[in-house]
Amino acid sequence: MLVLTFAVSGAGNCVRVAGAPYVYARSRFGSFVLPARCPHRGGPLHLGVFEPDRPRLVCPWHERASSVTRAITAGVPVVRNGNRATAVFPHPPGTPHELTHLPLSPDLGGTHSQERPCAQR
Amino acid sequence: MSDVGPHRPFELGGADLRDAIKRYTSNPLYLDNEEWENDDNPYRRQLRPQVVDHLDFDRVLGRAEVLDYENLAAHRILTTIYENDLVFFPKSGLADERKWSDFNAFYSSSNRVLGETIRPALERHSFGFLDDEVEVAGDWTRDSLEAYLRAVEDTPQEPSLSEQAISNSSDPERAARMWLIQYAPDFLSEASPMIRNVLGYYGPAQSEWFKVVIDEYGYGVHETKHSKLFEDTLTSVGLRTDLHHYWQYYLSSSLMANNYFHYLGKNHELFFRYLGALYYTETTLVDFCRRADALLRSVFGDTVDTRYFTEHVHIDTHHGRMALEKIILPVVDACGPRVIPEIVRGFEEFQVVAGIADEDFARQIAWMDAGPRNKQLHAPVWDAIRAGRVTAPVAHIVEPRGELSNTHCHNGDELCHIVSGTMRFVSGFDSYQILEAGEGTVINGNRLHGAIIESEECVYEIHSVGDYEKCLS
Repeated sequence: MLVLTFAVSGAGNCVRVAGAPYVYARSRFGSFVLPARCPHRGGPLHLGVFEPDRPRLVCPWHERASSVTRAITAGVPVVRNGNRATAVFPHPPGTPHELTHLPLSPDLGGTHSQERPCAQR
Repeated sequence: MSDVGPHRPFELGGADLRDAIKRYTSNPLYLDNEEWENDDNPYRRQLRPQVVDHLDFDRVLGRAEVLDYENLAAHRILTTIYENDLVFFPKSGLADERKWSDFNAFYSSSNRVLGETIRPALERHSFGFLDDEVEVAGDWTRDSLEAYLRAVEDTPQEPSLSEQAISNSSDPERAARMWLIQYAPDFLSEASPMIRNVLGYYGPAQSEWFKVVIDEYGYGVHETKHSKLFEDTLTSVGLRTDLHHYWQYYLSSSLMANNYFHYLGKNHELFFRYLGALYYTETTLVDFCRRADALLRSVFGDTVDTRYFTEHVHIDTHHGRMALEKIILPVVDACGPRVIPEIVRGFEEFQVVAGIADEDFARQIAWMDAGPRNKQLHAPVWDAIRAGRVTAPVAHIVEPRGELSNTHCHNGDELCHIVSGTMRFVSGFDSYQILEAGEGTVINGNRLHGAIIESEECVYEIHSVGDYEKCLS
């Protein structure tokens, strides 16, 4: 398994594992590791918004809605500590990965995300 | 079955909570001291009951508020409540009538019950912020937990802010003594929180847990008990070893770090968080103690006894492995994966708590080192107040010789201005400035300090300026 740490918001908030991007999403339905690319045609799911009052995330490209319930309850195991997330991916150790940045829609950026200096961690 | 009505859980809040805290803290054991240090009396702790009426313990402190006075007050009280479960004797025994009376009062049913009634509210007040700081999600399994926990072994550790503060201090010996003092609440009764989880009946992991305790207790040979090793460290650098001798110099974050384990150990619904916190501390202590040994030797030379730290370099290599392989994973096997998020949470929560303590201590050393500068800063801030450029709430105070303002902190910056007389202003262990009439000092927010009057009378003013730097422009 591959244990990776990345930011919740700001620089380095996207981790690419074997080329696939993931972000930490904080939504009103719960927090979870979100595959940032839509499984339909690769749209920017990190900019998606929820259907009204339903945990279904709508991709801005083709408006395809995907439930995030499974990602919340049975997705990639993750823990957030302040602005740092640590996730355990099923990939083998040594799998290529890199940190980048992806903007998040308001529905996925949380309402009380806190940027904190490293010294406070 | 007859109708007994709905169960009503225990709750205490509002005026009832304030009254209960006042009632607990107004015990004569907990009133202000006339000396800076307690003298071989483990039952006496200064809880400053005269100010608890002004504090709101009925809410959860935010992350930005954990160094405010409310938390210092809460953790002093919590330390006392938790320690009602531990046995302490004065070094000089109990022949002294007053100490015998204090012994009985400290362990009395009245004191213990009063403490227990306010403990849940204080824990919510002081540790509730961790609910926002740490969040666990996704599908955790035994394998993902093990991968996650083992990753800490590969994480390189850098010298902490506290270690850097000591090395860079203008008075490294004073800073190092202040550092050791911060660990006294933990190390002198070391492993006591851990022992709370030895009791009960929960299978093989219980016996493995007990093995860790056996190591901490030196296998029944007192000279090798970890607390005894730490006593020897304190003695070797000229510090006293009677419990809470330096109570007034504890920072709230130091108490918080120690109280965190009592909090987890006292509340068995948090047992699994304790597992995570235990693993983090046992694993990272190896490097920490190696660096602490080197740091203390660099500051004090070869006269310092560092066996406490070198012992942990050795034994915690085993304890980290034992915690994971013999306790955590077997407990997951026995209890099922639903306990894993709690283990992860404890692992992360203690990092938050330890990080706060590290930063707080480094800031306190900077504050102690800046004593002469803060005294110089009085002049321009006082000029701004006198010229009317700054208007701040002011308290006019008159105190007689020997009046000791027990240590505390303020939530914002203040200016102390001496109108007449002499004050010794104390900003930490062995750290003070003498303030005469017309002089004063800037008091930084959240920084521990106290004062004693050294003239027949001292008239002084405290101006609550909020941010002293705004007075300089």
